[in-house]
Amino acid sequence: MSETQTLSLEFELKHSPQKVWRAITERELLSQWLLPVLEGYRLERDAPFTLKTEPVQGWDGEVSCRFLEIAPMRELRFAWEVPGISTTVTLTLTPTSYGTRLDVTQSGFAPTQKREFGGARYGWNMMSERLQALLDTLDEGGAP
Amino acid sequence: MNQHMNEPTAIFRALADPTRRAIFERLTRDELSVKQIADAMPISQPAVSQHLNVLSEAQLVSGRRQGRQTFYSAVPHGLQPLIDWMEPYRAFWTERVEALNDLLDQMEEEEP
Repeated sequence: MSETQTLSLEFELKHSPQKVWRAITERELLSQWLLPVLEGYRLERDAPFTLKTEPVQGWDGEVSCRFLEIAPMRELRFAWEVPGISTTVTLTLTPTSYGTRLDVTQSGFAPTQKREFGGARYGWNMMSERLQALLDTLDEGGAP
Repeated sequence: MNQHMNEPTAIFRALADPTRRAIFERLTRDELSVKQIADAMPISQPAVSQHLNVLSEAQLVSGRRQGRQTFYSAVPHGLQPLIDWMEPYRAFWTERVEALNDLLDQMEEEEP
């Protein structure tokens, strides 16, 4: 069996959990900071929704998501799928003296060769153009 | 916004600057002093030093003291964290939460 891996990031936001919760659950706001959210979005357990990024060869740029857990002001968990990658994203809010601690975890990455090709390639695609250009340059340069 | 910087993010940021990238690429081929780097490029020695600081902090280059001079070279496998295939997602979420923070700054305060 191949192991799965989890990505974990932690951020301090100088804003209340109420405000952060709005920003991570309302379609218009999500579309501004995360990725454009296609029509049909419903904040409901098991409800599917789709995020849209730039298409690349072999992929239309659509990220298939589905809400798994919705705990207002505390935790939002949803499935995140692109070809070759099937993961779970969890956003956890913790009130602090300065505002909110936001924990972002994405789990389910499995280091199989097949997934590495598709998932990583599409993963690169979701980054900013600037970083993509950088990595293209490094590739050509054959850096260590 | 405060974020606990991790190594690969530091690498991305270090290499996002084209001049710094050029210096780094040079150092993958040769071991050079600040003066030698500055002589080969259209930038000043202080600017080279500053770039080397950023590259060192990202653990991409290291210096070797020889007499009064220091010679820099690329750290072997310094880019290894980028090859981790979860890496693009780490960079993606970091960028997205920066955008979230900008949006939150613009939003009105919530009623308690």
